[in-house]
Amino acid sequence: MRSKNAIEETIRTKLNLTFDPPLRGQLLARALREQEQSQETEPALNRPAIRRMIMKNSMVKLGIAAVIVAVLGIGIVEFLGTGGTSGVVWAEVAKNVEASTGVIFRARGTGSRDPNDDWPNGYTIFSRSAALSRMDKYRGGQIYRTIYTNLDTKTLIGVLHDHKMYSKEAMSDERVQSARAQKGWTDPQGLLNLALSVEHHSLGQKTIDGVLCEGIEGTGPDGSTGRLWVGVETGYPVLIEVEATDKGGIRHTTTMDQFRWNVDLSAEGVEPEVPADYEPL
Amino acid sequence: MMEDQLLKWKLRRGSKEALAQVYQMYIDSMLTLAVGLLNNRAAAEDVVQDVFLSFARSAKDLRLHGSLRSYLMTAVLNRVRDRRRQLRRQASRRDATSYVSTQPAEPVCESAGPEQAAIRAEEAIRVTGAIAELPDEQREVVLLRLKANLRFRDIARLQQTSVNTALGRYRYGLDRLRSLLNGEVNR
Repeated sequence: MRSKNAIEETIRTKLNLTFDPPLRGQLLARALREQEQSQETEPALNRPAIRRMIMKNSMVKLGIAAVIVAVLGIGIVEFLGTGGTSGVVWAEVAKNVEASTGVIFRARGTGSRDPNDDWPNGYTIFSRSAALSRMDKYRGGQIYRTIYTNLDTKTLIGVLHDHKMYSKEAMSDERVQSARAQKGWTDPQGLLNLALSVEHHSLGQKTIDGVLCEGIEGTGPDGSTGRLWVGVETGYPVLIEVEATDKGGIRHTTTMDQFRWNVDLSAEGVEPEVPADYEPL
Repeated sequence: MMEDQLLKWKLRRGSKEALAQVYQMYIDSMLTLAVGLLNNRAAAEDVVQDVFLSFARSAKDLRLHGSLRSYLMTAVLNRVRDRRRQLRRQASRRDATSYVSTQPAEPVCESAGPEQAAIRAEEAIRVTGAIAELPDEQREVVLLRLKANLRFRDIARLQQTSVNTALGRYRYGLDRLRSLLNGEVNR
């Protein structure tokens, strides 16, 4: 018997039709001709309105946050299961993370459908606190996107460095509330809920970038595997690795490292400065 | 997403590269939705061609605040509804009993090997056939939700109904599909 979930999954993932190649080529060629003709008959409009779409990028950040939550959740299970007899007291890790004023880290990934996610050359630097969030995306060592949100001032700024363009807009109260509600790893209740739903095992200790770490590996209910390495002395995460398969069957890996915890982002000047020669989007 | 925003900006400036990119990104999803809604591959291909050519003609004037995906899927839905009305009129004139193909569409599935492709194609045919059994409203909600990733709020607006009604149609649709597909398995 198929469940409703199985039917939803089947429709989502298995019902995928494609145009036959000859028709596919013909249609694109016709579309390009139509586009060209329309350009010849009427001038293009050149005053685009500011869009509201950038906010959706925050979902990427929240996704990463959720991954951290999930992996930290494994840590709590470790604590609950063993009484914290190892070098790392995992409950303390959760407390440290929750209390951290802000964090900066690097994230890299494979398997994304985003053609700009060109592992191993691409990576993203995240800066996050309760109210501030900034994401800088790099490709080939060059920055090409910056997305910034400030929930206190309700400001959203997007910078397309590769196109020398930017967008600035006010966030609606609804969006601010929604962003605040999804606190990610700063939500202890979320941590606990996730902690109770996963199993794990110890990976022992190893030195990462000169820091003695202790690691655990767990498997989530969706089959994703997370590995969390925490500094024995500091009690903060040093390296997080996640492997998961999405609904389309694509295997993704995400690595988060270069963590800087307890950063005062308001003092770091995380709001992007838009160069004078950039045009509004 | 910002990349979506950039594509729209490029389209307004007549970028062929942007149009080709939109085509690669969405054309198969549009076809899948249209086939699901019409259960007639030839008619669905016509619908998608009409929609995309119209999109190409008007891309320079694009002024949409939502996502391109949502825009294109909504355009497919609207064109499908026109097509249904047209087919109903023709069917009525012919005194026909059905306005769509009685056979499910033959999907072409993306897959690594021929064996797996055959299994997936068979599954897709079964599902497409079952979806065709649903009333139009339920079929729309199920496909717009699962294949176009539209929110129930947006689906409700497209169906000019309440969110609760859209949710109810979705639930009934899935119940019916479950019954149809499980019945098929049990036979």
